[in-house]
Amino acid sequence: MTISATQDVVARKVLGADEPPRRRRFTGTSVLVGGFLILTCLAMLSPIVWTAMSVTKPTDVAFLNPPVFTWQPTLDTFVDLWQTTNFYQYVINTLVVAVISTVLALVLGLPAAYALSRAPGWISTLLLVVALIFRALPRFAVVLPMYDLARSVGLYDTTFALALALVAINQPFTIWLLRNFFADIPTTLDEAAMMDGCSRFQVLRRVMLPLMGPGILTAGIFVFLFAFQEYLTATILTDVNARTVPVFIATQLGQTLPMLQQAGAAAVLFTIPAIAFAFIAQKYIVAGLSAGSVKG
Amino acid sequence: MKKREFWMLVTPSLVVMVGLLAVPLYRTIEWSLQNVNYGDPGTFIGLSNYTTALTDPRFGRAVVFTVGLTLVVTAILLVLGYLLAVAVNRLHRMRPIVLGLLLLAYVIPGLVGATMFSWLFDSNFGGPVNYLIAHVTGQDLLWFTDTWPNRVVLTLNIVWFLLPFAMLVILAGLQSVNPEVLEAAKIDGAGPFRLHWNVIIPSVSGVIGFVILISLMDVLRVFDPLVALSPQAAAIGNESIMFYIYSVAFKDGGQQLGLGSAINVLLIIIIGIMLIPSIRATAREGSR
Amino acid sequence: MRTSLRTNGALALTAVAALGLAACGAGSKTASSTAAQVTCDVAKPSKPTTVNVLAYNSSAIDPFTNTMVSSCSKNDYTLKHEPIDFPGQVQKTTATLAGASGTYDIVETYGFVIPQYGSQNKLAPLNDLFTKYADSYKLNDISKDMRAAMTYDGKLYALPMQAQMYIMAYRKDVFDQVGLQPPKTFEEMKTAAKTIQEKAGIKYPIALPWLATGDIVTSYDCILGSLGVNLTNFDTKTANFDKPQAKQALDEMIALKPFMDPQVTTFAQPAVQQQMYNGTGAIAIMFSGRMNDLTLEKNSKYAKSFAFAAPPKVAADSAKLYDTLSVDGWSIPNNTAVDKDALFQMIASSVSEEASKASLPAAYPARSGMVSDSSSPYAAAANVSITSAPPAEPYPWTADVSNKITPIIANAVLGKITTDEAVVQMQQAATAAIAAAK
Repeated sequence: MTISATQDVVARKVLGADEPPRRRRFTGTSVLVGGFLILTCLAMLSPIVWTAMSVTKPTDVAFLNPPVFTWQPTLDTFVDLWQTTNFYQYVINTLVVAVISTVLALVLGLPAAYALSRAPGWISTLLLVVALIFRALPRFAVVLPMYDLARSVGLYDTTFALALALVAINQPFTIWLLRNFFADIPTTLDEAAMMDGCSRFQVLRRVMLPLMGPGILTAGIFVFLFAFQEYLTATILTDVNARTVPVFIATQLGQTLPMLQQAGAAAVLFTIPAIAFAFIAQKYIVAGLSAGSVKG
Repeated sequence: MKKREFWMLVTPSLVVMVGLLAVPLYRTIEWSLQNVNYGDPGTFIGLSNYTTALTDPRFGRAVVFTVGLTLVVTAILLVLGYLLAVAVNRLHRMRPIVLGLLLLAYVIPGLVGATMFSWLFDSNFGGPVNYLIAHVTGQDLLWFTDTWPNRVVLTLNIVWFLLPFAMLVILAGLQSVNPEVLEAAKIDGAGPFRLHWNVIIPSVSGVIGFVILISLMDVLRVFDPLVALSPQAAAIGNESIMFYIYSVAFKDGGQQLGLGSAINVLLIIIIGIMLIPSIRATAREGSR
Repeated sequence: MRTSLRTNGALALTAVAALGLAACGAGSKTASSTAAQVTCDVAKPSKPTTVNVLAYNSSAIDPFTNTMVSSCSKNDYTLKHEPIDFPGQVQKTTATLAGASGTYDIVETYGFVIPQYGSQNKLAPLNDLFTKYADSYKLNDISKDMRAAMTYDGKLYALPMQAQMYIMAYRKDVFDQVGLQPPKTFEEMKTAAKTIQEKAGIKYPIALPWLATGDIVTSYDCILGSLGVNLTNFDTKTANFDKPQAKQALDEMIALKPFMDPQVTTFAQPAVQQQMYNGTGAIAIMFSGRMNDLTLEKNSKYAKSFAFAAPPKVAADSAKLYDTLSVDGWSIPNNTAVDKDALFQMIASSVSEEASKASLPAAYPARSGMVSDSSSPYAAAANVSITSAPPAEPYPWTADVSNKITPIIANAVLGKITTDEAVVQMQQAATAAIAAAK
C-alpha cells in the first residue's frame, strides 16, 4: 500500500510506529511527564470507571450516598436491562442507522469526492469552505425542518429517515475527507487508464477504488462513529419505533431505581463498541483527524 | 475532466445535500419570519420574531453564557491539548495504548458521557467527587443548583470529550516540526520553555488554528451535555443557545417555531462572526 | 492491510454472532409479560394495527400499563409501550397532541391537565363510549368523584385508573430512637426535624420534591390549599396572590429550608426517593404512587424501617392537610388513527376489577371499595389523606397559571427575590394567564 502514502505516513508518524527503539532514561522530566500522563488517563477514564462500578453493584448500594467502595459484584443489572426492556431493539436500531448511513454516505460521497479531486484548484478551496460552513451550522436549523418534512411524508420515526438525515449532515465532511485521499493518487494513473479506453466511471471503479482502501475505511469509520454518537438528530426524528440507545438513555435520566441503574448499564454496554473504535480502529481515526489539520 | 462526467459524478451527492441541507436551511429562514407550527402553512409576521428574540433577556443570557463557555473551553483545550500532545509524543511503545485510553472520551456519545459525568458529581446519587471534596475541605458544593459550580461541571465535561481530539491534532502537527531547527535551538542554549514558545508553537500554528476553529464551532453549538448535567439550565443562567432553541421550538410541540427559527438564524450569524478570522486563514492556507 | 482487514472482519463476525445469540432472552421478561392477564375482547381490526401507549414508569402506573399491553395484544392488535420518565411523558404528550397526527394512541393523563386539553379539544370525549360499555366493563363502579375530576365542561376526557394523594413516609426506627410521633402540623414537623438533626445525626431530615421547573409549584399549591386558599377564584376570575396566605405559604416553604438538602430545587420525586433510600432523609411527603418503591428491599436497606401517615396540616387550625388529590387515567387523543371504540375497550379492560386488584399495593385504584386499611403499609394513610385534601381547581387556566408562577416561586425559595416581590409578580403573571384563557 504505497498509494495514499501521505495519509498512512501521517497516521504512522502520529502513532510513533516507525521510530527506532529508544533507550529508556528515567530522568526527572520523564517522571514528571509520566506522572502527568497517568493522572490525565485516570481523570479521563474516571466517569466510565465509576459508572461501570455503579452498575455492578447491587441495586440498593448502586447510588448510595455516601458512596460505597467495596461491594459484592453482580451482573444482575445487565440481565435486567436485557430482559425487561427493549434495549436489544434499541441496539439494533442504532446499528441499522449506522450501517445505512455508512453505506449511503460512501455510495454518494465517493464519486463526488473523485470528481472534486480531479477538478481545478479553486473548486477544492470552495469545497473546503462549504464543508466548513455546513459543519458549523447549528443542527436545529437543519433538523427541525427535517422533522416537519418527515412527518408530512410519513417517514417520521423510521431508521431510514434518521440515516438519511445523518448522511446529509455529514456529507460535506465525508466528501472533503475522501477528496483528500483521492488527491494523493496521481492523475497519471487516470490518464493511463483512459488512454487504454476506460471511461471515467471505469477509472473510478477499476483503478481508484482498489487503491482507496484506507480512505474508504477511514471515511466509513467516521460516518459510522458519527451515527453511533448522535443524540440531537435522533431525539428529534425518532419516537417509539426507531429509538436509538442514546435517546433511550436520555429518557431514563428521571427514573428511579432500578431503572436508573439499568440506564447506567446501557451506557456501559455502549462503551464497548467505543473501546473497539478507540483501539482497533485507532489508526483510521488518527488518520482522519490529522488529515484536516496537517498540510503535507 | 469533462464537464458532463463531473456533473454526473457529483449530482447524486449534490441532490441529497441541496434537498436535505440547503432546503431545510431555507425553511428555517422562512419560518423565522412567520408565526408557524409544524404542519401549518404559517402566517408572515416580518421581523417580529427577531425583535422578540433580541429583546428577550433570556436570549441575551444564553448568548453571554455560550460565548463565555466557548472561549474558556477553547483556551483550556489549547493549553491542556498541547501539554498532553507533547507528553504523548515522548512515548514510544505505550503510545497506542495511551492514545486508545484517551480516545475513549471522544468516541463515547456526548450524552452517554455526560450522564456518566453527572453521576460522578451528584451527591444525592452517591457521586464520589462530592464525597472526596467534602472529606478533604468540608465544603459541600452544589453542582447542579449553583450557577458557577454548574459551569465548572459543564466546562469539565466539554473539555473531557474534546481534549482527545485537540491532543491528536496537535500531536499530528508536532510530527512535522523540523528536527534540525529544534537541534539548532537547543545548541543555542534554549531552555524547554523557550524551545516550545519560540520554536515549536510557531511551527504548529496551523494545527493550533484548526483546533481553535473546531472548538469554537462545536462549543457554540453545545447541547448534549446540558441535557444530562444542567436540567435547571434556564433557572441558573446556564442555558446554551441550542438548549434555548430546543425548549422554544420543539419541546412543547413547537409552539414557538417561528421564534426558535429566528434564534437559529441569529446563532448562525454569531458563529459566522466568531469564525470569520479562522475561515479566512483556512481559505488562504488551502489556496496555497 | 489485508491481515488487519481480516482480523477486523473476524471480530465483526463474532460481534454479530454474539448479538444474534444474545437476542434470545432479549426482552423476555418485560414487565408486561409478567403482568396480570385480564379479559380484553376487542374485535379484530381490518388490518394488523399497532397501538402506542404513552405512560411514564412508576410502581403505581406500571401495573395498569403492563396489564393493558399484555392483555390486549392479540387478534391483530399489538400494544407497544416504551419506558419513559415523567418529564419525558410531559414533553411527549404536548408533542403528540400538537399536530393533526400523533405518535401515541393512548396517553396517560391526570386531573391537572384535563381542563387544558379538554378546552383545546385535544382529547376525545368518552361519554358515549362510557355509556356503551358501562355494563360490560362495570364502569359505574369507578368512583364518581374521580370521574368528575376527569370531566371538563360536562365531557369525560379520561377513564380514571387510580388516585394519587400525598403520603408522608418516615423512618420509624429513627422516630422511635429519638421518641417522636408522626407530626400533625408543619410546626411539629419542624420540631421533629430539629430533634432528628440534633439526636440522630441526619443533616437534612425533611425531603420534599421541589424541582424548580416543576414540582415546586405543587408543593406551594398544597400549602396554600391547607391554609384554605385556592390559586384562583373561578367566579370572579381573579388570582388569589394578593391574599396574605399567598405570602404566608412562601414563608412556610422558606422556613423549611434549613431542614432540607440544599440541592432540593433540583429534586423531582425520584431524587426524593433516593434520599430516603440513602437514609439521608427521614421524612418525605410525596405522591402515593412512589411509596411502594420505598418498601422494596431491592432498593434500600431501610425498606423495612419506613412507616406511613397522612401528611400534616400547615397550621394548627387548618381544615385541610398539606395534600393534593390527583386522579390518573387513560385518555384517547383526538388525532389518533386507530378506531376509538377499540381503544376505549382496551383502556376499560385495563381498569377492570382484576386489573385494579392486581395493582395493589402500589396503586390506589379508582374503582370503589378496593382499598382497605390493610391493603398496603400506606393504605390507612391514603384513606385518611384522600378525604382531607384541598379541593382541586379544574379551570382552563389552572395549568397555565401554575406554569407561569413556578419560576417565581423558585426564585423566592432560592432567596433571589423577597416573598413580597414574589407575590406581586405571581399576581401579575396569574392575572395575565387568566385573561389569556377563554
